[in-house]
Formats: sequence, structure tokens, C-alpha cells
Amino acid sequence: MTVAALSPATSGRRVTHALLRDRGAVLSTAFLALIVLLAVFAPLISAITGHGPNDFDTAAIDTDLGGIPRGSLGGISAEHLLGVEPQNGRDILARIAHGARVSLLIAASATALTTLLGVVLGMLAGFYQGWVDQVICRVMDFLMAFPALIFMIAILSSLPQGNRSVLLVVVISVFGWPYLARVVRGQTMTLVNREFVEAARASGASTGALVFKEILPNLRSSLIVMVTLAVPGYVGTEAGLSFLGVGVTPPTPSWGQMIAGSVGWYAVDPMYFAIPGAFLFLTVLSLTVLGDRLRAAFDAGEAS
Amino acid sequence: MSDLLVVEDLTVTFPTTRGLVDVVKGVSFTVGRDETVGIVGESGSGKSMTSLAVMGLLPKGARTSGSVRLDGVELLGRPDRELRRLRGARMSMIFQDPLSSLNPYYTVGLQIEEMYRAHRGGSRRAARTVAIDALRQVGLPEPERRVDFYPHQFSGGQRQRIMIAMALVCSPALLFADEPTTALDVTVQAQILKLLAGLREESGMGMVFITHDLAVISSIATRVLVMRQGEQVEYGSAEQVFAEPRHDYTRMLLESIPRIDDALDDGVRA
Amino acid sequence: MARYVAGRLAGMVLILFLVCLFTFIIFFALQPDPAVMICGKTCTPERIDQIHSVLGLDEPFVGQFFGFLFGIFAGRDYGQGANLVHCAGPCLGYSFQTGQSVWDMVVERLPVSATVAIGAAVLWLLIGIVAGLLSAVKEGTWWDRTAMGLALGGSSIPNYVLALALQYVLVVQLQVLPFPQAVAFGDDPVVWFESYLMPWLVLATGYACLYARLTRANVIDTLAENFMRTARSKGLSPALTMRRHALRPALTPIATIFGMDFAALLGGALITETVFGLNGVGKMAADSIAKNDQPVIMAVTLLAAFFVVIGNLVVDLVYTRLDPRVRITAQ
Repeated sequence: MTVAALSPATSGRRVTHALLRDRGAVLSTAFLALIVLLAVFAPLISAITGHGPNDFDTAAIDTDLGGIPRGSLGGISAEHLLGVEPQNGRDILARIAHGARVSLLIAASATALTTLLGVVLGMLAGFYQGWVDQVICRVMDFLMAFPALIFMIAILSSLPQGNRSVLLVVVISVFGWPYLARVVRGQTMTLVNREFVEAARASGASTGALVFKEILPNLRSSLIVMVTLAVPGYVGTEAGLSFLGVGVTPPTPSWGQMIAGSVGWYAVDPMYFAIPGAFLFLTVLSLTVLGDRLRAAFDAGEAS
Repeated sequence: MSDLLVVEDLTVTFPTTRGLVDVVKGVSFTVGRDETVGIVGESGSGKSMTSLAVMGLLPKGARTSGSVRLDGVELLGRPDRELRRLRGARMSMIFQDPLSSLNPYYTVGLQIEEMYRAHRGGSRRAARTVAIDALRQVGLPEPERRVDFYPHQFSGGQRQRIMIAMALVCSPALLFADEPTTALDVTVQAQILKLLAGLREESGMGMVFITHDLAVISSIATRVLVMRQGEQVEYGSAEQVFAEPRHDYTRMLLESIPRIDDALDDGVRA
Repeated sequence: MARYVAGRLAGMVLILFLVCLFTFIIFFALQPDPAVMICGKTCTPERIDQIHSVLGLDEPFVGQFFGFLFGIFAGRDYGQGANLVHCAGPCLGYSFQTGQSVWDMVVERLPVSATVAIGAAVLWLLIGIVAGLLSAVKEGTWWDRTAMGLALGGSSIPNYVLALALQYVLVVQLQVLPFPQAVAFGDDPVVWFESYLMPWLVLATGYACLYARLTRANVIDTLAENFMRTARSKGLSPALTMRRHALRPALTPIATIFGMDFAALLGGALITETVFGLNGVGKMAADSIAKNDQPVIMAVTLLAAFFVVIGNLVVDLVYTRLDPRVRITAQ
């Protein structure tokens, strides 16, 4: 028992150590920290620059030229650090920062809900097997056969009112959990038959104790990796749905929506497209790199 | 007539994160035609690396020094394309785990045929006949039918028989058997040992038998090399090593197997 | 074998039925009355009733649902008497927007989606597998690190961002490609190719990056297998060792993933088709959703699910051919 209790802590330290020595992982973490700070302090940034995410600034755009930003590079200046949107002159920095709040919040909530559903249902299926397993597996087959993107768009567009962010989280999670549950189910099945779980069961441990003390801790590393790799997917999905016009409702800013808004302008004002595009790309990339390195670190630990 | 294989002062070096590590340190031995030499040692003693070095199958990055001569021809430092012609034809090898050593995607027949054709050429049809004969020779029942089976359709002992059939299909002069019975049940172990010894005697080839089990060696080898942590601790004729081991380590290995002798005695009495 | 396929087919039909049912429930329960939309602003209650009756919307839910299902196989009639319209099977109804037969719309647009999917698949298989193989063989070298870094980056670009960026660079700045146009291959092969090139590249990028990483990982795992050591011990040439002994085990899992990815794409590359204005099934889905065209939404959902389910079955059947250890056992 002491050995089992000791090893997760040491493996955690070893993984942290491995990540700290990896340049890609450190850079990714730094960039993600920046985005989180941007999101957390979005109101503060607006207060300092004096530009709210929805404040129009007609001085920054040239109405004679159809409303393209004044100055080069999409209106980047001391006043507007990342330039302004064409036509209405909204500050892009303020919108990026506020958009980060929306994107990260939705991605984080969707990840949390997916993980909860995936772990609970996957463990139920793997632990009880029999008809419970049958039912859960059929539901997973069904959800995975569903054309998720089309259906997400259809549902979201047919529910015009209400809180879009909550709906997005629910819809993403409902279609996302089977991918996690499938892996959890398989691992639980092998764990249930391992000696230490049988020993605990024989010594009269309750089901709850079995699940929380014996099985869940052993799923930890693969869960961490799967969840880290799922987050960039959800950031991308949220942005994609917003891009298609069924995500968060305007004027609430979101990166995907900003990119959608830039479609008509990219020929004359490429920066309007490039900035949110770059933020989205770098965020997804950082999360992917981090997940990838995390997996490598855990794998190396298992091999040694 | 010169010896079949002469290994002199063989050293194998691996680059690791902690610098260069010698996994085989100055090992020397000879294998005559028509004899079995046993290499004994615990896991990590360098006994498998020794055989892989002779075969030219060391992992990338490994470095060798010393001398390895097969039929008087130096093998170390030779380009792989030349060694390739010898591997399988003049010397071949069977491994510990026959299941993972056979490719699960191809029939055993194809895996034997491709080896035969790589060295002897000829049509698939001719090679197939050779493969069936080889399978018959190792005592696999219904070889005509089973030549088209996949490795997973055989038992562990049968798979090792197939490995042996494959290794011997080009009638090599030298066979390395790297723990060929370790993964098998005790009764099957005895059958495979008997088969190997019989086939060796029939063909008059030299064999290097690698194991951690001195009891196995005592029944099959005429000469024994004992290795520990890459070093050669003892080398001599089997009688000599078993009767008067010069090294503590050999004595320790010998002392750990009295049960086998008892069992043999029992068997004789019964 | 036959029993297995029959069982699987039954399972597929069940899943498709459920997809149908769920889609129907959600649109039946949640959508505003389509009659109001069709009728327009100058509408009388009588006219609405008439539309209801023609479309069968005055029937209860169960009747409507089975009417729809039945129509798919046997065709159905809309309205009565002089207004009677027979929709020959397979009937997916008529678009609320254009009045066109939904089946005809699907048949018309499927080739576009198939062209997009096939072209992209050829590209991503070629690039992904070759890059992955090279990386595996040259593991740890400069090439490997660069290729895998690019692959990680490439799989992180959302495809609409890549689409817009490509369009900006290739069409607006460099002017090497025209804006994509809907041209049939027979009319002008060059314009046809130029029009599809960007959609192919955009779709292929993400998959190629993913497949390169998968291929590399699988090949490296396979090269470490004991049977590879056996193959070398047999004196086979490196080319034969690689081609026969390494590639098949390494690529078999990729074939199954490819089947699923490709099947999903046949149901329409929604974002790519929309961004490039290609009239495929994906754009049809986006348009129908935007305009609340229920019969079309039903059709595209069902079509996409159909491809996924068929793809699943084909992959499982092909897998038993590719990996001799997998044998079908009837459930």
C-alpha cells in the first residue's frame, strides 16, 4: 500500500521534471499562461487601454475607403496595439482578450463535463460489464455514428434563444464523451481482473472504495493525457461552430466569430483575419504540444 | 581441419545516456564442427549480445572489437550486405519467444520459403516443397496442410519447431539457439531439446546453445562458457566445468540446481 | 461470415433508424411551423392548413415519421386529388426552400463531395505515409524532428483558418490560382483542377499531419518487434525486410482509421465546401441549416450517418483480410 501511495507522487515529479527540460513544453505552457492571463484580466486591459470589446472607434477607420482601418497593418498603433476591426473600429486586443474568456471557459467546461461523463460511464461499463456494458456500448456506437458536426449545428441553430455558451458545452460533451469512455472502459476491464483489485475485493472493500482507491488512481496518467489532448479539440470545435455562426451570439466576442467576420475583408485587411487566426492556431498548437509531451513523459515512465 | 567459429577477445560497446557501456568484455571461445557449445549466464550477462554480435544483428549504434572468424573468414567490420549472404545460409538463429519471433501477418510456409529463396533462389513452388519437408523433419504433423497456417494457429512448442525448421532450411554450418526452451512448458522443453540435439547430430553442424539453465547445458553441450556481467568467468569442457568449477559464480550456479540431479536420479531408478 | 454480415447489417439499420428518429424528434419538436415559412408574409389560415395537408404536417408525429421512413424505400404521395404529387422512391421529400426533390439534390451534389474527398485522400495518404515512413527510418535525425514539428503544427491549424490563409496567399497575393469555380471536369479540366486544388490541400493538411505521426509511431513500434530481428537473421535484403515484414503490420491499423475518416468525409466536408463555395453535400447541409430547410437537414444527417455506418462495416470486413489473427465470430 505504501508503495502504491508513493509511486504517483514520484511519477508526478518525474513528469514535471521531464516537461521542464523540454523546450516545446515550456514554450507552450508560457503561451497558454499568457492566454489565461489575457482572459482573466480582459476587463482590466480594457480599463487601461480605454477600449471595451464592443466600443466603436470611428476615428480609427477610414469611412471614405469603405471603413478599412487607418494606418498600415490593420490599424496597429500605440492606441490600438493589435489594430481595429474594419467598418466599426472595435479594438482587436480587447476582443481577443474577451474572446479568450469565452473560448477557454467553453473548452474547459466541455472538457470537464466530457471527462465526468466519459469516466463515470466508461467505468460503469468496465466495472459491471454484462447488460450495463451492453447498453452503454450501444449508446456509444450510436453517438459515434452520428454526424456530430452537422447535428451540433442543426441543434444549435434550431435553439435560437437561451444561453448559447451552456448549450455549446452540453452539445460538445454529449458527442465527445464516448471517445474517452471507450478507453476508460477497456482499462477498467483489465484492472478489475488484476490481482490487487481482486485482493481488495476479497478483503471486503466496498464498491466505492474499489473504484476510488484502486481503479481511478490507476487510470490517472492516461486520463491526464487524453484530457490534455481533448482540450485543443474543443477549443477548435467552439471556434468552428462560432465561425459557422451557431456559436456564441454576437456581440459577445469569440475567436471563431472574429475569423468569420474577417472573411469578407481578408483581401483588403488581412490583419483582421491574421490576428485571431494566429491566436487560435497558437493556442491549439500549444495545447497539442503539451499533450504530446505529457504522453511521451508518461510513456517513458512506464517503459523504465 | 580448423574450427568452425573462432571468437577472440570480443567486446561489444553500447552508447547510453551514461556514456559508453561494455556489455560484452573480451570473450573468447571456439565452436568446432559437429559440437555444441553452451553459453550460460543470468539475464544481462551478455550471452545474447555475444551471439547477436557474431550474427551481425546488434542494434544500431553498437560497436565491436576483437575478432570473429567463421570458416577462417573474419566477420567483424564486414559490410552488412556480405554478412547477409552468410546469415541464414551458413549460420542461423532461433530465439526465445517463438510467437513474437514469427511475423503474425504471414503463413509459416511463406516465412520459410522467403528465407530459402533469399539464399538459393528458385520458384515459390520449389521453395514450398522444401518448406513442407523442413516442417516434416521437425516433426510437425500434417505439414502439407499446416504450411498455410499462420503462427497464431500453432501451440508454443509447435511454433518453436517451425522456427527450427526455418533456421535449418538452408542447412547452415552453425546454429545459435538463444534460450529456445525458456518460454515453453517443461515437457515441451524436453521434446524441443531432444529434437535440436537429434537434428544437430544428423547434420553435423555446430551449435551454440544459450541459456540461464545449467541443467539444460549439462544434457546437451560438450563445452561450456559461463558469463557474468559481460565477462567470461569460466570456459572449458562440460565435464571439467561441472566437476571442478574454478569460479565461485559457477559453483553458485551449480548449487542452485541440485533438484534436477535428484530428479534425474529418480528417473533412472524408476 | 454471412451470419456475421447479416447481424452487422441489422445493427446498422437500427442505428440509422435511431439517427432518423432523433433528428426527426428534434426538428418536429423544436422547429417553428414550416408552413408559415413556405407561405410567406401574405398568408391566410386556410392556406396554412392546405400546406399542412399537402406536406402531411397535420398528421400526428408517429404518422409523419413513418410516412417519411416509408417514402425512403417505396416513395410516397403528397396531397390529394388535383394537388396530388407522387414522389417516387427513394423519396426524401421536397425542399421547403426550392421545392426541388431532396433525393435529386443529393444525387446532384454527391459527386462534388466525392471529388473533394477522393482528391484529398490521395494527397494525405501519399504525404502522410511517406513522411511518416521517412521519419521512422530516420528516427531522431534532423529530418525526423522537422517533419514531426511541422506535423504537430499542421494538425493544429483549424481548416477554415488554413482555407482563408491559402486563399489570401494563392489567389489574392500571388494570383497563381483562380477563385474556385463550379466547373465540370469535362468542360475545362485545367480550371476544374485549379478549383479543387485548394479544397484538397486544405482538407489533406490536417489528415496528412495526423497520418504522418501515426505512421511514424507504428513503424517505429514494428521495427522493434522480435519478428524484425528474425527477418534480419534470415539474411533477407533490407528492402524485402522493410516492405514485407515492417510495412504491413505498421500500416494495417492506419487502413482502418483511413476507412473511417474517408467515410465521414463522403458525408460532406462542411466547412471546406462552405468556405470555397463548392456545391457539395457539406455546403448543402450548411445552407439547409441556415435556412431551416427540414427535409434537407434530415437527408444530410441521414446520409452522413449512412456513410459512417457503412464505413464501419467495410473497415471491419477488410480488417479480417489484412490481419489474419482477426477472425469473425458471429455474435
